[in-house]
Amino acid sequence: MLGETTFRRPLLLIAVFNIIGYSFLFLSGEAYNWHIAALGTFVTLLICTVCLFIIKRNAGDEYLFLIVSMLLSIGLLVISRLNEGLGIKQFIWVLVGLTLFFSVYFVYIRVSKWERFTYLYIFLPFAFYLITLVLGKNINGAVNWISIGGFTFQPSELSKILFIFFLASYFKQPDMLFLKDSRYSEKTKVVVNRVLLMLVTYLNIGFLVIQRELGTAVLMFLVFLIVLYVYGRDMRTFFLNSALIIPGLLASYALFYHIRVRVEVWIDPWSDITDKGYQITQSLFAIASGGFFGTGIGMGRPDMVPAVTTDFIFAAICEELGVFGGVAVVLLFMLLIYRGIKIILGVKNRFNKILGFGIAVMFGLQTFIIIGGVIKLIPLTGITLPFVSYGGSSLTTSFIALGIMQAISNTDMDEAGGEIYG
Amino acid sequence: MVEILLLLIKVIFIIVIYLFIFGVIRLIYLDIKSMNISKTNTMGFHPYFKLINQRDMLGFKVEENYTLDRSVTIGRQDKNDIVIKDPFISEIHAHVSVEGDMVYIKDLKSKNGVFVNGSRVDGDQRVLLQDGDIIKIGQVKFLFVAAGK
Repeated sequence: MLGETTFRRPLLLIAVFNIIGYSFLFLSGEAYNWHIAALGTFVTLLICTVCLFIIKRNAGDEYLFLIVSMLLSIGLLVISRLNEGLGIKQFIWVLVGLTLFFSVYFVYIRVSKWERFTYLYIFLPFAFYLITLVLGKNINGAVNWISIGGFTFQPSELSKILFIFFLASYFKQPDMLFLKDSRYSEKTKVVVNRVLLMLVTYLNIGFLVIQRELGTAVLMFLVFLIVLYVYGRDMRTFFLNSALIIPGLLASYALFYHIRVRVEVWIDPWSDITDKGYQITQSLFAIASGGFFGTGIGMGRPDMVPAVTTDFIFAAICEELGVFGGVAVVLLFMLLIYRGIKIILGVKNRFNKILGFGIAVMFGLQTFIIIGGVIKLIPLTGITLPFVSYGGSSLTTSFIALGIMQAISNTDMDEAGGEIYG
Repeated sequence: MVEILLLLIKVIFIIVIYLFIFGVIRLIYLDIKSMNISKTNTMGFHPYFKLINQRDMLGFKVEENYTLDRSVTIGRQDKNDIVIKDPFISEIHAHVSVEGDMVYIKDLKSKNGVFVNGSRVDGDQRVLLQDGDIIKIGQVKFLFVAAGK
């Protein structure tokens, strides 16, 4: 109903943002850097084309990609400023991600009844974990990468989405998934179902903890709790699971050295500033040195923070774009999640509804966990900021999740008909 | 001089991001507002059909209310005004004509017919609808609510 003209203004602003940013980078170096200029042009053109394509083809919700493209722009700009080579790599990952985004979008619409593949959603993640444990490469103390033909991938990122698929097929008809045709009484069936749900969830989390993927484990647990709270039938299961947080935290604190380190550093990073507390204190210095409007792109020293292009990209954004820039990123994520919730309110298919809700919650929690970690609000767990951080696995997974969301938002998919046209 | 210019660029840069956020919020606001108008404003002024079936029991999409602000056709085909993808509904099933305060329903040679209060509407007969009439088309049952009720 709203003409395309109304979308032109935000789109134009994205273009302006990219042009200012990249010309700033282009001019601020000692010599003119033509790679940056070319990258900037391509990014601007790509994002505008994709946005216009979605609006013209009427391919689902228009706002989702608009918001994500602003996040992508900010991420790409900051990564290219930090490391030009990584910026170009990230651009290639964006291209891969966009291809996946559209393929997932079309495939998800074509294939009906995704709840048919429940057992795939249960066992595929476990297969991933076992493959990772066998073939895994040790990067930064976490065994969570597999390397195929020189290019590394993090399978746990995909398990995250498969787990949400599992939750959606479980809660489509709560507590009815397993043992549908057995002769047991209704009550036993419900209990067995709940036990199996918890078993699958905690096996997932357990494997992640073994791989030292703390961030993803926490993320998965919180997504599980929230979906259980919203779609579950009774509150007892919810309280039982929430009560498990405290012993779980205490046990992992006692058992794992690296969790103890994370907590100690969170409580007091200053006492061991040269070693364990180095990363977080550097991040805090970077954020503090930004001020309101930041030092300007290319003017600060965010490269002092270890892992600044991946987990700590928020610190770099805060330093160079200032507190206002950082708050803008948080606001953009809030809009994204708001839009996600808005979409699922209108969806009638219950499986899609829960799936969309899970994805929106996942984006929200992921943002909270990593930004909270970077600003020392909560203990740091290494996960990436969706769409902003550098990293192939994380970016492609975020795009897959976004593709599913986009497909859900397409009302034609919701068993078309029943409307007054014209 | 350079410093001031730099600060200016920086501030403009941030302002662009916020203008974008503001623009998106405005668009979303307009989107929600237009949705509310189409739902609530037309109620009461026009006669409308109200769905009696439980919506989740039907395997296809049906709205809760259909406002009859003009004459409409009902059927499975997309060019109808009210599209219901019920397999028991014909491609172009029925015609509802609105003439002032009078609302008539006519069967357009459908296979399974149109029923008003349980009796089938004959071939080329037009039936005047009264407030509270129950219309059955395919598996779908509507309650007719006259204007001003």
